Amino acid sequence: MKKILSIFTVLIIVAGMWGCKKDSSFLDVQPNTFLTNEQVFSDPNLVLSVLADLYNRQVDFSSLNAGWGSFADFSESFPSENSGFGRGIVQNTGWGYGSWGLNWFASYNYIRDLNLFLQRDSAATGLSDQQKKRFSAEARFLRANFYFEMVKRYGGVPLITTPLTYDYSGKVNDLQFPRATESQMYDFIINEAEAIKNDLPADVSEKSRASKGAALAMEARAALYAGSIARYGATTPAVSLPGGEVGIDQSKAVGYYTIALRAAKEIIDGQAGAYKLYTAPAGASMDQLSQNFANLFIDKTSPETIFMKDFATGVTHAFTTNDQPFSFSDEGGDAGRLNPSLNLAEQFEKLDNTFAPFATTDASGKPVFYKNVQDIFADRDARLAGTIILPGGSFKGQTVDIWAGYRLADGTIITSDESDHLKPLPGSSVPVQVVGGDGPVNGLELHTQTGFYIRKYLDPAVGSGRRGQGSTVAFIRYRYGEVLLNAAEAAFELGDNATAATYLNQVRARAGLTIPLTPSDIDFNRIVHERRVELAFEGLYFYDMKRWRLAHIVWDGRPTTLSDLKTNIGKATQHSTQPWGLWPYKEYEPGSPNNGTWVFKETLPSLVTGANRFLLGNYYTQIGDDVIAANPKIVKQPNQ
Amino acid sequence: MNDLLRIKHLSMKSFLQKFFGAFQKEKQKGQFNHMRGAFLTSFLILFCLLGKAQNAQVITGRVTDSSGKTPLLGVTVTANASKKTVITKDNGEFSIPVTNADKKLTFSYVGMKTVTKNLNGENNFTIMLTPDNTGLSEVVVVGYGTQKKESITAAISSVTSKDIERVHGGSTVSTTLAGKLPGVTFRDAEGRPGASASIQIRNMGTPLYVIDGIQQDEGQFNNLAPNDIESITVLKDASAAIYGVRAANGVVVVTTKKGRTGRNNIDVNAYRGWQSFFRFPKVVNNTADFLYYKADAQINSNGFNYDPATSTWTANTSITQGILDSAKTSNDPQYRTFDWRKYVLNNNGAPLNSVNININGGSDKVNYYVSGTNLYQNSVLGSQYKFQRTNIQSNVTAKLTNGLKVGFDINGRVEDRQNPGVPGVDDYFLARLAVLRNTPQERPYANDNPKYLNDLGPHLESNYAFLNNNLSGHYRDTWRVIQTNFHIDWDLPWVKGLSIRGLGSYYFADELLNNQEYTYKAYTYHPADSTYEVTGGATNPWRERGQTKNINTTLQVQAAYNKNFGQNSVSATVVAERLQLHHLYNWLHANPRSNFLPLVSYPIIDQYNDIDQTQARIGYIARVTYNYADKYFLEFSGRRDASYLFAPGYRVGYFPGGSAGWRISDEPFFKALLGNKTDILSSLKFRGSYGILGDDNPNNNPIVAPFAYLPGYNYGTVGSAVLDGVTVPASRDKGTPITTVSWLKSKITDVGADFTLFNGKLSGTFDWFYRERTGLLGSKNDVIVPEELGYNLAQQNINADAQYGEEGSLNYYGKAGQVNFTIGGNLSFTRSKFLHSYNPLFFNSIDQYRNSYEDRFNNIGWGYICIGQFTSQDQINNYKVDIDGQGNRTLLPGDLIYKDVNGDGKIDGLDQRPIGYNYGSQPQINFGFNFSVNYKGFDFHADFSGAAGYTWYQNWEQRWAFQNNGNLNAIFEDRWHRQNIYDPNSPWVPGKYPANRYNPGFSHSDYATQSTFWLHNVRYIRARTIELGYSLPQSILDRVKIRAARVYINGYDLFSIDNLRQYGLDPEVIDDNGLQFPQNRVINAGINLSL
Repeated sequence: MKKILSIFTVLIIVAGMWGCKKDSSFLDVQPNTFLTNEQVFSDPNLVLSVLADLYNRQVDFSSLNAGWGSFADFSESFPSENSGFGRGIVQNTGWGYGSWGLNWFASYNYIRDLNLFLQRDSAATGLSDQQKKRFSAEARFLRANFYFEMVKRYGGVPLITTPLTYDYSGKVNDLQFPRATESQMYDFIINEAEAIKNDLPADVSEKSRASKGAALAMEARAALYAGSIARYGATTPAVSLPGGEVGIDQSKAVGYYTIALRAAKEIIDGQAGAYKLYTAPAGASMDQLSQNFANLFIDKTSPETIFMKDFATGVTHAFTTNDQPFSFSDEGGDAGRLNPSLNLAEQFEKLDNTFAPFATTDASGKPVFYKNVQDIFADRDARLAGTIILPGGSFKGQTVDIWAGYRLADGTIITSDESDHLKPLPGSSVPVQVVGGDGPVNGLELHTQTGFYIRKYLDPAVGSGRRGQGSTVAFIRYRYGEVLLNAAEAAFELGDNATAATYLNQVRARAGLTIPLTPSDIDFNRIVHERRVELAFEGLYFYDMKRWRLAHIVWDGRPTTLSDLKTNIGKATQHSTQPWGLWPYKEYEPGSPNNGTWVFKETLPSLVTGANRFLLGNYYTQIGDDVIAANPKIVKQPNQ
Repeated sequence: MNDLLRIKHLSMKSFLQKFFGAFQKEKQKGQFNHMRGAFLTSFLILFCLLGKAQNAQVITGRVTDSSGKTPLLGVTVTANASKKTVITKDNGEFSIPVTNADKKLTFSYVGMKTVTKNLNGENNFTIMLTPDNTGLSEVVVVGYGTQKKESITAAISSVTSKDIERVHGGSTVSTTLAGKLPGVTFRDAEGRPGASASIQIRNMGTPLYVIDGIQQDEGQFNNLAPNDIESITVLKDASAAIYGVRAANGVVVVTTKKGRTGRNNIDVNAYRGWQSFFRFPKVVNNTADFLYYKADAQINSNGFNYDPATSTWTANTSITQGILDSAKTSNDPQYRTFDWRKYVLNNNGAPLNSVNININGGSDKVNYYVSGTNLYQNSVLGSQYKFQRTNIQSNVTAKLTNGLKVGFDINGRVEDRQNPGVPGVDDYFLARLAVLRNTPQERPYANDNPKYLNDLGPHLESNYAFLNNNLSGHYRDTWRVIQTNFHIDWDLPWVKGLSIRGLGSYYFADELLNNQEYTYKAYTYHPADSTYEVTGGATNPWRERGQTKNINTTLQVQAAYNKNFGQNSVSATVVAERLQLHHLYNWLHANPRSNFLPLVSYPIIDQYNDIDQTQARIGYIARVTYNYADKYFLEFSGRRDASYLFAPGYRVGYFPGGSAGWRISDEPFFKALLGNKTDILSSLKFRGSYGILGDDNPNNNPIVAPFAYLPGYNYGTVGSAVLDGVTVPASRDKGTPITTVSWLKSKITDVGADFTLFNGKLSGTFDWFYRERTGLLGSKNDVIVPEELGYNLAQQNINADAQYGEEGSLNYYGKAGQVNFTIGGNLSFTRSKFLHSYNPLFFNSIDQYRNSYEDRFNNIGWGYICIGQFTSQDQINNYKVDIDGQGNRTLLPGDLIYKDVNGDGKIDGLDQRPIGYNYGSQPQINFGFNFSVNYKGFDFHADFSGAAGYTWYQNWEQRWAFQNNGNLNAIFEDRWHRQNIYDPNSPWVPGKYPANRYNPGFSHSDYATQSTFWLHNVRYIRARTIELGYSLPQSILDRVKIRAARVYINGYDLFSIDNLRQYGLDPEVIDDNGLQFPQNRVINAGINLSL
């Protein structure tokens, strides 16, 4: 009896343990991390989720979430970080031919995903026609805008507009596409913008998804770039390829400029929504104008923003963490990497529309003594203090402590290698602070090395500079201010200086430059200069210098001397190969009226040992050997 | 029968009282309540099923050791026909009922030669057992069963509890295995509390761990209590095939202790250890010296300025001779010295202690082993950095009737890691960085007032004064794990030799991680007005919580058949197995509004991750063995495995294997050859094996992503976009489905020999092996598709690699008078090679030379060959080869000269050559040896291990001076420098290192590229455990009623002979900055008691 019972128990347990599932169903684990194509394209919320990824994969030359390095190059600023590529930027003597490239495979993978999206969206049966049309227009906008990013770097690239498939036949001829010509690329972008603009909302409040305004702004910028490459490319005939993959025929310039002006005017005329400049109330002080200009990049509801990459809690970037003044950092860790150069600061005009260096010495070479540290920056373009945190400027309601040391009557400097290393001044034994908590100390990273910190895009919100939190400030890809400048440039190139002056003056008035420029004031230098100061640190300067074929002239590899720095300000060809700084000192002369005043000294940070040299081969980024090996129809770039 | 049952009830009841008494203590901790119900249920089953026996006659007797004086307890006495088994008692006496069919009794005991006696009508025996040193009768755990060592045909090594329990160098099981097993490579790079060593079998990759028959992960293996382990066996060749799925990298089989039948025992094992860092880099700890070296480095970096007006040179540094003089002589407070190394490594003698109490014993019906262990490990970095673990193990087996056994095994633990919550990824790092980064001029507190944390500017985060639970935060990570195995063995009464076994296992692991990093303030003291100003700190709170739940179920059904026909014996096993792993994880991050709010509320959460993954695998296994006269052995096995990873149609793989052995020493012709002197070559066996194993998860990474065979969009795995102000989780196309990938195949060949000499005093084993893996993933690039295609062709099983080597071990047992001693050693060598990929393509011959893997050793480190250092500026000026790419203008005497291999007059990437092995990997050569001796009550034991064939290189803090604007690593004091650093014309004084630059980074040719100057191929031999013990004599013990007592002192990592000593580094570190938490040197005192 016992035996039977025990055997019975064993059998029950063994059978129970094995369970009743068949092997195949036991192995068929159900996924919970992905959706089938059918599920996605039957629910607009899921389609939007796919679009969210396609939006995320847009690239920018400079962007808030892609680090700080691309903002720092070209002598527009000093990169105050010892490790990483910080030093390289100011110690290299030039750029490799592969610089600024995109990952070719990832780029075409993105284009493939866009093409797949377009194919699946058009075949979807669970979406309304209205929904399908807008989704499709958005994907086409993203594809055109991405090809724009590629043509800016490479010139013409294979223009793929359908998803390709390899059939394992061993034959790849059908998959090898040659590079389109540079003008075909721009034509594609312009035509796509025209084709989709009416499928997109004409709504000023639609900023993070494609809108009619975004399509037109892309069209205007692309046409302007194409026009200037056609016109100024003629000055560098070596920068071209016989097949037109690089370079655009001069005869096409007028056509492109006309398109640029027309597209920009559609926005200016309100056909895409109620876009306008972000302005301060009438009668605002210069400080308020600077504040207004800074707010333009913080305020996500600004009517000036046309298309932006937005951030929110949980989707943040570290721009403020990386670049805030040192004393705002946590644990002295992340801060101060992006220090605008004196080269850039001096470009900001005086209010009488003239250019001048900051007066550090008088005619006899003696130092000028300033009562307040900010006096030297008085009566300048409001965008100066709106773009750059100057010595004595403030951030988050706190004064930024920028000064390089004490200067004694005989010119000796007393300073320290850390602000908390106190030292006694002559005639005293009590140690005191002898250098600003925010720098500059020669070579001390994460502190300013130029005497300036970046202000544009720096987020004043609580916690924005913390490592664990980050900033939610949006990056603006297209804004109305640039549209006005694009229109002005196109009009100027078409010979219409009056129109150009009108648009320029709108932008300048916002910056406190209330004396209007007349049509006869407008020349190429003015066009170049206005874009440099208005659009500084927005990722556009470099491509401007390329399309005007100024890059090899401005970055000629010759060190920048003090006199280079102080002359030719406001000239398109002023050479700028090394980032200089402007260091303030406190004068220490007890008993003298000068005691406690400020003096300034132009300083080249000692880490700057290289000088930028831009070669003709740098105009178009090298296409990798692996890419060409896999597709022999791709021709190489010129001059490399 | 009723009476019998009642007696059993009684004895079991008293046992149960004892048994649960032990748990009452645990229960008070509130953790093990739920286990009790499970226990009671299983015992109820046991009681219901107790059977009865049939007796004919009773044989009695006594068993002693060879002296005839000491009685042996626990000797197994077996009747040959009825298979009746009893165990000897305390006094060595036994009493066994036998049937008329029984003709013989066998007496077996671990470590003694088995004795068989014919009954011949006698009914009282006195038996003496003699020690067996051959080890051949030892039983070794193999796949799904055990085998006698003499009949093994596979490459297998094992260690037993007595070898493991002696090691007190760390807190995890892997740290006990250095040099213990031939073929097992070992590297213990990290010594923080609770850390594990990295072990691999023949460097084949992460092995599979099987604990009491159940596949487990590395964490479960490491966190068993070493006291609970009976043996660890590694299966190194095709014998692992029987474990099939995931066994391609070898198998580590752990068996936990079972109750020894005999009397009830209570054992107590406890030790207390004092830890210190084995080595750690030294720094300059004197402000005057620090400033001198800093000035030297700054001048070398920045040079001299020439003033034409006065025709003088001034050194480009802010540290003048005057400053150096006053730093040396004045009492100026700014030149005071602070010793950060001493301050940070302040908890020298940090405790590592463990207490284990176990109760074991049983009768021929029930045996049990119940154990509780508590381990505590603290850190030299401070008492708030700690690890604590509590284990319980309860193994109970009961014989229900003849032929039916039921067992229930429970393993549970609570594993707890706590330390200050510190900014950055690794909470232990900043404290160690503080030693090298903070300069002797910097002080932890403003004005030395402990109420005010000093603001050290960029060095603030490494100010050790705030790295504690009060200021920086608190981190706690706790695992709570319970593993339950239920198994039934039934010898089928209808077919003799046929038995079946069912095994069910349920594993549940729970992790709770809580970390809160606080905001804090740092101050600067202003002596002018005696105020403390807040000038730094952190405003950045960090709160995270992670929760893991792992639920693994294993089901096995086995049938085994054993049959002897005369000299022939045959056995067969079939197994069916189902494994399911279920992993759940969630993690959140929040920004608390105050340091005083540990709970997480919804509005402060800004990140939340959620994961739910399931894995499923099925295996069917068959094995047949044949043995003729214990002389010829043959074995065949086969598996059919299926994995959820592959597309239906590619899920199943078939993996056969076989082995053979020949005990040539039993052949008459061989004996004749030796002149029948068996005491010289006592035994010799040759063996060989070949098998194919399948792998779907090499190195714990699935060979293809789960569900790669299905098309669709991955939801929410590629971040989120903010569209119209709303955060939208992003979805991405998964890419082209990978539909044809299947099992990777691992083909292992092993040839070996086992031998014993001199009557078993000297024994040894040798193995040669070769593993070829085919089916590694690659793309079939018959044609190169343009990158504009936009996707990669799906990967397929087409590449191959190999791992091969040899290993052996020798052990000698000797006796001289009353002194017994053993000496043993092992050595293993292994290397890996990539064999071939599918149609490799190269752009040119340089590309092929540099980037090809075809038929080459894996893991080659490239760099320049350093052929010396410049000795003068003249030599630099006249040197023909451009070393630095800038016409040698950046060079100073002492800088490195690289070999211009291709003779093109400049040093660039084309001059690089293979100069090292893999960085951070397991050693290719491992060895160990041990020595033990005992005399009367004293015992002494020493074991050593060593390794070579891996590479470490100096980088960061170890490569350049003043990294992070920090302190100077003391190794750079020995450097090239000018006699008078301020005089450009002063003669150069030679040193080991190039002239220091200030925080040079990678910008100089000395430092920019890997070279033989910075790279070291490491070799070491180190003392692992050296132990002296004393066992108290029986005469004393009898008086206090203790069965056995032993006290010992024990040192771990006492010394090492190696080539990293000069850098102040443990030879096993991995981190190239040398700042890794090193192994500890531990001095232990301990006691073993048996009550």
